[in-house]
Amino acid sequence: MNYRNIIAIMGVMLIIVGISMIFPAVWSLYYGEDDWSAFLLSSAITVSAGLLAHKATGLRGEVQHKEAIAVLTLSWIAASAFGSLPYLLTGTFVSFADAVFETISGFTTTGASVIPDVEIISHGVLFWRSLTLWLGGMGIIVLFVAVLSSLGVNTLQMFRAESPGAGAEKIKPRAGTTAKILWFTYVGLTVVEILILWALGMPLFDAFCHAFGVIGTGGFSTKNSGIAYFDNPLLHWAMILFMFLSGANFALHYQAFRGKDLRVFWKNGEFRLYAHLMLLFTVILTGVVLASSDYSFEAALRQAAFHVTAIMTTTGYAISDYDLWPYFGRSLLVLLMFIGSCSGSTGGSIKVGRLLILLKQFRLELQRAIHPRAIVNAKINGRSISSEMMINVQQFFFIYLSITAVSTVIISSWGIDLVSAFTAAAAIMSNVGTGLGLVGPMHTYDFLPAAGKYYLSFLMIVGRLELYAVLVLFLPSFWKK
Amino acid sequence: MNYRNICAVPGMVLVITGISMLFPALWSLYYGDYDWPAFLWTGGVTVILGLTLYKVCGITGAFQAKEAFAAVVLSWVAAAGFGALPFLLSGTLPTFGSALFEAMSGFTTTGASVFSDVEILPHGVLFWRSFTHWLGGMGIIVLFVAVLSSLGVNALSMFKAESPGPVIEKITPRISATAKILWYIYIGMTIVLVVILYALGMPLFDSLCHAFGTVATGGFSIKNLSIGYYANPLIHWVIIAFMFLAGINFVLYYLALKGKDLRVFWKDGEFRLYARITLVFIAVIAVTLLWTTNYSSEAALRHAAFQVVSIMTTTGYATADFDLWTTTAKAMLVILMFVGGCAGSTSGSIKVGRMLILLKQGYLELQRVLHPRSVTQIRINGKAVRPELVMNVQQFFFIYVFIAAVSVTVMSALGLDPVSAFTAVAATLGNVGPGLAEVGPMRNYALVPEAGKYYLSFLMLAGRLELYTLLVLFLPSFWRK
Repeated sequence: MNYRNIIAIMGVMLIIVGISMIFPAVWSLYYGEDDWSAFLLSSAITVSAGLLAHKATGLRGEVQHKEAIAVLTLSWIAASAFGSLPYLLTGTFVSFADAVFETISGFTTTGASVIPDVEIISHGVLFWRSLTLWLGGMGIIVLFVAVLSSLGVNTLQMFRAESPGAGAEKIKPRAGTTAKILWFTYVGLTVVEILILWALGMPLFDAFCHAFGVIGTGGFSTKNSGIAYFDNPLLHWAMILFMFLSGANFALHYQAFRGKDLRVFWKNGEFRLYAHLMLLFTVILTGVVLASSDYSFEAALRQAAFHVTAIMTTTGYAISDYDLWPYFGRSLLVLLMFIGSCSGSTGGSIKVGRLLILLKQFRLELQRAIHPRAIVNAKINGRSISSEMMINVQQFFFIYLSITAVSTVIISSWGIDLVSAFTAAAAIMSNVGTGLGLVGPMHTYDFLPAAGKYYLSFLMIVGRLELYAVLVLFLPSFWKK
Repeated sequence: MNYRNICAVPGMVLVITGISMLFPALWSLYYGDYDWPAFLWTGGVTVILGLTLYKVCGITGAFQAKEAFAAVVLSWVAAAGFGALPFLLSGTLPTFGSALFEAMSGFTTTGASVFSDVEILPHGVLFWRSFTHWLGGMGIIVLFVAVLSSLGVNALSMFKAESPGPVIEKITPRISATAKILWYIYIGMTIVLVVILYALGMPLFDSLCHAFGTVATGGFSIKNLSIGYYANPLIHWVIIAFMFLAGINFVLYYLALKGKDLRVFWKDGEFRLYARITLVFIAVIAVTLLWTTNYSSEAALRHAAFQVVSIMTTTGYATADFDLWTTTAKAMLVILMFVGGCAGSTSGSIKVGRMLILLKQGYLELQRVLHPRSVTQIRINGKAVRPELVMNVQQFFFIYVFIAAVSVTVMSALGLDPVSAFTAVAATLGNVGPGLAEVGPMRNYALVPEAGKYYLSFLMLAGRLELYTLLVLFLPSFWRK
């Protein structure tokens, strides 16, 4: 293990995080608030720490497989530690646990908050919160790879470790180029959404923050009541559309854009299942909402579509308190937390691609029960899946649920009820952010003790990096020569 | 598809079921209760119908895998369907849905009841409930195979369809001899328990009923307070011991008896994990009880041990209302519902053997992240596990959880609150019996709507037959030539 490489790469990361702290300072100055200095100070500290780490160590040779994995988790932790500086220096939080929770929630695009009242928070801090979502969204590492590919480091390994999603397709052979393309698609979508939200009457500042939250599938809002504050159906529909787009594989967006051919989406098995599931859940939930409230059909459809997309893409925005829906509606939403979005998107959770593989194998196993000697492999998009891949995906499902189950027990030990504990574990692991009960859409995680906040922060990183990358760090053999 | 074979097997099972109804009739007469005609009538009709089916169809030739699946499922449905009639005829249950639920709960050794007050029930009905546990525990088909050994039926496929655990092995070359040995061990264990309970002061009738419920890991009690009715701590400890014993792979008893060597237990990886999980959960829950209640340390340990062993072996007896325990303790018990006892035991749920494979594979997958090119297999009891078996076990886990998740939404659509819906599904699919909240240990399933009772009966059967046996019947290709 070459520790110098690890520290050097983390240094570059910190420089990027530090530079991005200048943007909230600009907004702060624009609004005439006095916390701009706190951002500039945080930026200066972070950038110098990054420069120091990078210069003192320096990259040597190729980044090895193990180092790439270690860098992932460690750089998220480092980014979050320094990313919490603005919260601490502006006095938004007094406790370090709160600041770390909020930052990790941002960088992992979870959107779970510990700020009980966001409307009294300064614009600079609000912007920083949303910016962390956006930065985390495509993965700081992808940005980082795009920047670093020019340094001639073997970045393909890094990219593999970052997006282990089942269907991650390489658009271009070089990871650096791939990352750049994905990043441009990402920026493009964000710009278009900012313009649309702005055109629909949202103030520019809010349009920025919410576009970051949507494209990053994060969920931080600048209002206490979330998107419900903006009482414009068109705006809700625009956000539904963009959440849906952010939950699709970004490689598909790029292919569709390059080939000027929208059929690439429909040719993709994962996208088809993603769209079908979303449609199915929206239809059922529209019925549930219509039956249990006096909404008009459009309003009921919008309620259902908004919350289905918000939860399935693991964004976590809300336009009403769905914790008041009938049990049936709520249980459907909890189910969605375990599905998540497409691989290669900014969303989290188990992912539709894995679900697709699991469902195909399900049918195959039943057939094998009748014809024990038949040897067939499941196929996705016409390509057959190897047994190693199948075992890996199925094992992911088991580990994911085991961690959720154990976490429910741990969270319940802080004295909260079963529904809240379970949905908190599910919402945090999947990077959705909002659950039911005490952690419902109109609540925050403020009530948890510091230990709880640290544990959930850890869980967010585990979920964001898709388990394996974090869990291997706990293998003793990982740290051996 | 040989439809004659498919009819003949349920015919024979009906004969066995009908004859068994003689015993509750005798107890009813002994106590001078009113319900004996219900048993004699149903018994008579069931035997005649069964004999007719058996004679008319007749077993011809060997069983194909498909026929075995269909025959086993039909047998169970027939046994539960006719086993439900005494409840209706004696007037103790008003609807067929309730009666079917109770009978299915009995045969599948679930122990979930729709009776809100069992102490007013006549003795015949009480005995019948417990006796269905005992018949279903080792398996009606296994009994049938043991009885029919002389008929030269190729029964291995059916034997496997009824008890398809991951490590079922033929302990003797002849499957009927294996079935006999398993039944001898089962009967022996029951007799020992009846004698001990009787010696500890439990009336003979109660001892029989509770021995049936314990050894079969069923859970029907003849008291509203379940085992909590008996104040003698020794009775509790004895039942804890026998529930634990009933959760062990019965093949190990055979090996231990044959080799006169108790070390076979500890040499078995599944048993070691089973014992360890039991101990860890008892220890943690006992500590939470000591903190939050005023139990003495013996009582805390006893109640923790009783509930942990009862839930893990999927028995479902209770000595305390664990629905009043802390959220942590409750969450841990719900996790145990998904673990279950050992393969080859009378318990249900996912089973420790599968958990062992999943955990080992989880560790292996992490290692594979570090060394992507290494080809290794996991080993259980020194033997390498083939990738096909690993995939099968992983897929079982997925299907189990998938069915549970879908069922929770079904139950919540029927109006159950989230905790009741979730635990009702976990407790019936896992053949445990009691859940939490509305379906807690001191409550019952009477509140579940009629449609829900049919649905839960289906889940109990799906769980008892370990999913595949029942699910293959839904494949369209199953019914094609």
